[in-house]
Amino acid sequence: MIDEKVINEFSQIVGARGLLNENLDLFTYSYDASFLPLLPAAKPDLVLKPQSTQEVAAIMKLAHKYRIPVVARGLGTGRTGGSVPAEGGLVLCLDEMNQILELDDQNLMLTVEPGVKTQDIYQFCAERGLFYPPDPSSLKQSTIGGNIAENAGGPRAVKYGVTGDYVMGLEVVLADGSVLQTGGKMIKNVTGYDLTRLFVGSEGTLGIITRAILRLIPMPKIRRTAQALFDSLDGACAAVSRSIKSGAIPAAAELMDQISIEAVAKFRNIELDPRVKAGVIFEFDGDSEAGLDAQIGEAERLCAECGSVQFRIAKTKEEEDELWSLRRGMSSAIAALAANRIAEDISVPRAALPEIVKRLREIAARYGLQLAVFGHAGDGNLHPSLLADLNAPGEKEKVEQAVGEIFQAALAVGGTLSGEHGIGLTKKDYLADALGETGMAAIRSIKKALDPAGILNPGKIF
Amino acid sequence: MKQEIIQRLTEIVGQDNVYTSLEDLYCYSYDASFVKSNKKDLAGIAVYPGNAEETAKILKLANEEKIPVIPRGAGTNVSGGTISVGDSIILVLKRMNKILELDRKNLIAVVEPGVVTGYLQSEVERLGLFYPPDPASLAVSTIGGNVAECAGGPRGVKYGVTRDYVLGLEVVLASGEVINTGGKTIKNVTGYDMTKLFTGSEGTLGVITKIILKLIPKPEAKNTMLAVFSELEQASEAVSEIIAKGVVPATLELLDNIYIRNIEEYAKVGLPTDAEAVLLIEVDGDRQILAKQIDKIEEICKQSGAIQIRIAQTPAEAEELWRARRSAFPAVSRVRPTIIGEDVTVPRSNIPAMVKQIRAIAAKYKVIIAVLGHAGDGNLHATILTDETDREEWSRVEKAIDELFIAAVKLDGTLSGEHGIGRVKSKFITLQTGEAGLEIQRRIKQVLDPNNILNPGVMFGK
Ligand SMILES: Cc1cc2nc3c(=O)[nH]c(=O)nc-3n(C[C@H](O)[C@H](O)[C@H](O)COP(=O)(O)OP(=O)(O)OC[C@H]3O[C@@H](n4cnc5c(N)ncnc54)[C@H](O)[C@@H]3O)c2cc1C
Ligand SMILES: Cc1cc2nc3c(=O)[nH]c(=O)nc-3n(C[C@H](O)[C@H](O)[C@H](O)COP(=O)(O)OP(=O)(O)OC[C@H]3O[C@@H](n4cnc5c(N)ncnc54)[C@H](O)[C@@H]3O)c2cc1C
Repeated sequence: MIDEKVINEFSQIVGARGLLNENLDLFTYSYDASFLPLLPAAKPDLVLKPQSTQEVAAIMKLAHKYRIPVVARGLGTGRTGGSVPAEGGLVLCLDEMNQILELDDQNLMLTVEPGVKTQDIYQFCAERGLFYPPDPSSLKQSTIGGNIAENAGGPRAVKYGVTGDYVMGLEVVLADGSVLQTGGKMIKNVTGYDLTRLFVGSEGTLGIITRAILRLIPMPKIRRTAQALFDSLDGACAAVSRSIKSGAIPAAAELMDQISIEAVAKFRNIELDPRVKAGVIFEFDGDSEAGLDAQIGEAERLCAECGSVQFRIAKTKEEEDELWSLRRGMSSAIAALAANRIAEDISVPRAALPEIVKRLREIAARYGLQLAVFGHAGDGNLHPSLLADLNAPGEKEKVEQAVGEIFQAALAVGGTLSGEHGIGLTKKDYLADALGETGMAAIRSIKKALDPAGILNPGKIF
Repeated sequence: MKQEIIQRLTEIVGQDNVYTSLEDLYCYSYDASFVKSNKKDLAGIAVYPGNAEETAKILKLANEEKIPVIPRGAGTNVSGGTISVGDSIILVLKRMNKILELDRKNLIAVVEPGVVTGYLQSEVERLGLFYPPDPASLAVSTIGGNVAECAGGPRGVKYGVTRDYVLGLEVVLASGEVINTGGKTIKNVTGYDMTKLFTGSEGTLGVITKIILKLIPKPEAKNTMLAVFSELEQASEAVSEIIAKGVVPATLELLDNIYIRNIEEYAKVGLPTDAEAVLLIEVDGDRQILAKQIDKIEEICKQSGAIQIRIAQTPAEAEELWRARRSAFPAVSRVRPTIIGEDVTVPRSNIPAMVKQIRAIAAKYKVIIAVLGHAGDGNLHATILTDETDREEWSRVEKAIDELFIAAVKLDGTLSGEHGIGRVKSKFITLQTGEAGLEIQRRIKQVLDPNNILNPGVMFGK
């Protein structure tokens, strides 16, 4: 509970407009897109919607003074409970700081507030022939602040990298309310430690991002999409690896296993070739037709060598959209197969993809659970989804154990717990397995250095 | 150094791997920067560990006894990052020079820190793969030193800098504990990004003992061209336009008139000596798109007012064009006995303004400053040609350098794009980071190295 007097002080900063403390309002800030159950501790005591860095700084000063936990929130599409309070306190919702502040078309840099939606950034740039590549599938709802705090990825990461690769500088309000500027518009900068990259992926535990400078690139002139279907999953993985090594690096290479494909086929009433055991959706982009033809030709040849039973190049924009909507709809199609879908986000060295899928299937079989696997094959980032009914007796425990084993399997093949969704609440129990005790101590010490009072998103990551 | 410490260090690494004679220690009183340590600051001992375990033992001992440790690769840094600071341990990583693994399936190399950059590149290229970062010192510099400085190079404009290729590290902390960061996965958001924190930390946070590097397929072909401009602004405009058009060349090197005149005198490569700027451009990629790229760049350069354009038709001609760039340092080193290279970096569009400032500063202090740079990423090398034995001139040089830094920061730039802060620039660091930024860096240093034994004086000053 936050004292009435203190709430008053906050309201002087943001005004009545920016302060929510009605029960129903508070409830809507107590969950995100993770599968966490609703818990009383998850309900914030107060929600604040600042509109400027000054307001954020003033809020942090007060919160610091009274030692009130502060949970930053973009639009709550996070998959790991990052924006859900673990110990009550206040939710600092940045969705009203949603201005694109400056386009510097000389240096190809965009300065934005944290609450701008990813899709709006993409669109703003695309209209000007520029390209902001990171494309989490949630881009229509997610904020750039949330993307930075999670270091979000997306299908295009295989060629273009993840959010962090485009963040050149940040303005961050620290735990005590002081304001820090990191990086800037220079491409190269080695003055001091790389604080920009420390804040990227820090999940709201080290500071509140109030402004970001993003690097843009010219928009590729042409894009083409192709779908390859394979008679084995190993073949599909091999095709992706080989096309990357050949230098025909796809702008996206999304892998789907048999269950995922069947789910979509069922959802959409599509007839499937019975030989199909896996599929890959490729996107290629570039500046010349000839260059693209050559790349796609090479990819098609490699796919055939790896046992593709079909390679279909989208001929029209409609066909392209159709192929992508299959991929984007995959999550929902799979979710429709069962009462609950528990999706993970492991990342493994690319060559370990066949091995990890084999192990994932063994785990699912052992627990008698259905499992669908899809993900960003080009960079080894998979989203294995367990299908279950968490209300059925014993099912929840089974799922928890299976998830634990999935993480162990990822680590065993040289991989890690999370490729793009972060640790948040849902994975923190497994973090020490990945980092070791010394690694944990090191990141804990960083947390302590930046937030000695422990008010920023307490209970997350650690 | 106390005999007992020398004895214990000798037990760790063996008699053959410790050096204590005066003439040996003298070698560690300087690096490639213009500073040297005083006689009284000679190190107590130089040790060459053979593996991470030995390194850990050395650090543990040093930490207990609170003895400063200076990690050292090849000593080619130009910021005083490896000079001895009195009764200290010089920890030379050169014996740890094995390429541990070249993983062709995942396009990954695992190396020890003492591997020489150029050697790694040639080994990798034999497999048809590519490790792009190319500091001009690559024939001698070590990968460990490159990571610790986050070294760049001409190819930075297209391929990024060392940081963009470091996927994981093994680091011995000041306490002697060993941590592993990152891994073989391309995507990883498991905990804070410690890999990026150690990258560019200049030996102040830990000693790097193993490095996991990302490799890419080797571009099929390359070609070189050279464009001469009568005005610097025209060259700069061409650079911005080339990048905005999406034809990002592998290198985009800019030479100013002082360089042009001296190169011509020295190497007779046929440059017009009244030209204000030369761009040396290398493009790489698939054979079929190279010619197109060259055409496009030629067109842009012409539009921006190039008075002469030379396109290499054969590898021998390309070599001839590169000879101009490679003779740059020998050419200017005939002018005065001492060369100081500063590497101020500004947003690309501010290159003309920065060059103007450099000229004004040179005129004000009556010193010669030539400018060469990685123009594509705004990284300028302001080359001061002077004589360090001339006290009076030297004091003017020092003032000029101070003003260079201030001018760079005023133009939204930074003190260093790739050379690091070291001991030479530590007094200027707050110009860039502000007090809040430095305070955060200090706290990070404090938690990871509480006794301040790792490279004391670097970054933070005395
Ligand atoms: C259908 C769906 C598909 C998805 N696809 C992808 C995908 O392809 N790739 C991917 O990477 N993720 C994906 N996600 C996950 C999620 O969208 C991303 O993590 C996204 O970055 C979260 O943005 P948000 O604005 O919703 O942040 P929130 O969920 O509100 O917050 C996420 C975290 O960031 C912190 N945070 C938010 N804003 C700030 C700020 N300004 N300063 C400091 N900390 C802050 C929060 O405290 C929290 O820890 C998907 C989610 C859904 C629901
Ligand atoms: C002629 C010349 C040209 C150059 N060109 C470029 C260029 O184009 N681009 C560029 O970026 N730089 C350039 N440099 C600078 C220099 O070569 C780089 O900074 C290089 O990365 C240093 O590598 P090194 O092995 O010599 O490291 P050292 O000089 O020995 O050390 C550099 C720093 O790293 C630390 N360090 C070294 N090894 C480790 C380790 N294993 N663990 C932790 N810390 C460590 C040291 O303490 C020191 O702070 C040039 C230098 C010269 C002399």
